[in-house]
Amino acid sequence: MTLLASLALALAACTSTASPSASSPAGGGASSAPSSAPSAAASGGAGGGAVDVEKSCPTPDAEKAAAAVDTAKFKTDGPWTLGVSAGYLSNAWVAFNNAYVSYGASLEPRYTSVVRSDAGFDVNKQVADIEDMITKNVSGIIYWPVDNGALSTVLQKAEAAGIPTVNVANGFSDQAGITANAQIDNYINGRTAAAKLVESLGGKGEIVSVLPIAGTNSATLQDAALKCVLGLYPDIKLLDTQNGDWDTAKSKTITEAWLQRFPKIDGVYSPSGQMSLGVAEAFDEAGRMDEVTFSPADEYNGWLKWIAAHPDKNSGLSTFPTSVGKTAVEVMTGILDGKATTKGTWAGAEYVAPDAAAKLASPERPDDWWPNDLPDSFLPSK
Amino acid sequence: MTDVPSAATATRAGVRLPIAPARIGLVLAIVGLCLVAGWLSPGFLTPNNLLNVVRQASVVGVAAIGLTFVVLVRGVDVSVAGVITVVATIATGVMNGSDANIPLAVAVAIVLGLAIGTFNGLLASRGVHPFILTLGVGVALLGLTQLFTGGTSLGNPAPSFRSVLNARIGPVPVLAIVFFVLAGIAALVHGRTTFGRRIVLVGANPLAARLSGVSVNRYVILAYATSGLTAALAGLVLLARSGPPSNFTGMGLEFQALAAVILGGTSFAGGKGGVWGSVAGALAMALALNLVNILGLPFSAQQIVQGAVIILIAAAYAAVRKESAGD
Repeated sequence: MTLLASLALALAACTSTASPSASSPAGGGASSAPSSAPSAAASGGAGGGAVDVEKSCPTPDAEKAAAAVDTAKFKTDGPWTLGVSAGYLSNAWVAFNNAYVSYGASLEPRYTSVVRSDAGFDVNKQVADIEDMITKNVSGIIYWPVDNGALSTVLQKAEAAGIPTVNVANGFSDQAGITANAQIDNYINGRTAAAKLVESLGGKGEIVSVLPIAGTNSATLQDAALKCVLGLYPDIKLLDTQNGDWDTAKSKTITEAWLQRFPKIDGVYSPSGQMSLGVAEAFDEAGRMDEVTFSPADEYNGWLKWIAAHPDKNSGLSTFPTSVGKTAVEVMTGILDGKATTKGTWAGAEYVAPDAAAKLASPERPDDWWPNDLPDSFLPSK
Repeated sequence: MTDVPSAATATRAGVRLPIAPARIGLVLAIVGLCLVAGWLSPGFLTPNNLLNVVRQASVVGVAAIGLTFVVLVRGVDVSVAGVITVVATIATGVMNGSDANIPLAVAVAIVLGLAIGTFNGLLASRGVHPFILTLGVGVALLGLTQLFTGGTSLGNPAPSFRSVLNARIGPVPVLAIVFFVLAGIAALVHGRTTFGRRIVLVGANPLAARLSGVSVNRYVILAYATSGLTAALAGLVLLARSGPPSNFTGMGLEFQALAAVILGGTSFAGGKGGVWGSVAGALAMALALNLVNILGLPFSAQQIVQGAVIILIAAAYAAVRKESAGD
């Protein structure tokens, strides 16, 4: 027992919150219309304050994303074969993203075939998948990585073979081998959620933070965005940060522990609706809903249904577009046409006000669903 | 907490204890963990938190109940996570948001769990290595779930299914009651029925069992079927507690369930152990995880502490067992 106590004490002295370097899968996201520049996040701070969050917390890599791409070497006449290398397909967000890639390809008649692969979170398999696509001489490769760093060599090989690559649904990367990015900006997404949360709290209070899988691009950037915004509001205290891993069950368990540990929690920072759902359930079951404000989250249908049923807890949305898959196809088409293209094309994140957010809910659909404008034949499941 | 009576309950002084001394190590470790946790965090020893821990342990605990029978017959079943995920997913689809579909969804879940468990048992009884077999089955089930759903869940759970099972009767979560009722039934089956006695015999001495006219293969199959059944029930518990699972949700649960069984004193050598021990093992692990959550430790530290608790409990169990073997 002494050993156990000593171990627990020693570990209790460890600092909490650790977010390793970026890269790695993004995972849960959302959808909206693409745009060529970072979309405006919530600006202004709490309680009528003059804090310009957007200016004070600028998007990392904005300048690099604006750089031009030399597309002349990739210009080719059709017909085209599109390679789609999925690092994983095991969550609803990527399933919709994948569906949007298919839909986008169907809109361009020069794409006569699509070669697909799913690495199932196995980075070695994804390397092999891309090598196969190079062997098959696809015209271009759209991919979302298990780990971008591990793919660098094979992506360079693809470019050397005249095959452009587009990194989709992940954070921006100018790593060698990546021709262009069609990215979700986790930083803007997180910054919007954080800014709206502190605004709702009037710039004061104690909050907790639920992040995706530790080490992922999403977790790292969302955490960075939160920290930057909190730096502008010294009266907001971050009680704790934990990784909910985009999992409702885990997020609920974490929150149950928080509710025992902290007598009062004023706000929850959780840009992922899937995790927000677990957090909210825990608060509800503990009878402590009245004390808490939730940050805007993404448009995960389970969360949309929940905020529609709890309008007093509806803080709106910070979108995370699954339609970035279609954006990726458009970027690829531009490259194959030899048109001027920038290194990064942004899709989302936009703030959706509470009234409009509640209307996006599809009660008849599963929780694992994302608002979309896909034709029925392209839906991941019905 | 009682298992099949054995000489282990006798002490050197000749006094019979109600609990096998080997189990005392686990009980002492759990009590010690609670006391340390209560000292480190005031919120830990509140009835609400402790009952929440029981609820949190219910998914792993229910799965560990049936897994106990498999380990008793010298087997192992790591397809549990796959069964939990596929059952929770299919039950969601069958319910499709309607309370009227709950009985059908539960029936489908039970049949599916029994079918998968029976399949495992049929092959294991014919000499297929159970670890590799059930690992393959588990992976295949996760793949089938992915194929079936396309990455999204289908349908919605019935409203009453979640609201009733997530409710409390007084301060006691309904899921905690379900967990203990299932454990009680399983313990009765294990300790008081011919089936239970034969499971112990098959595990303790398969040759003797065969020579006694007991069909070893039949009881191996039944043990795996039981594990499949309780894994399916664990899937329903998961669905009730947290809603439809993602493909990630079940990952790792098979090893947590197995750790609960082994921590609880059921031996891979077969024939020794019991359901209540597995329940205690599941609670011990849930307590450890709850403690590190409450302390706000980062996830990496949580895994270290969880592992350390498992090692400490296993060491305590081994020490007491060595002592009781010397009596």
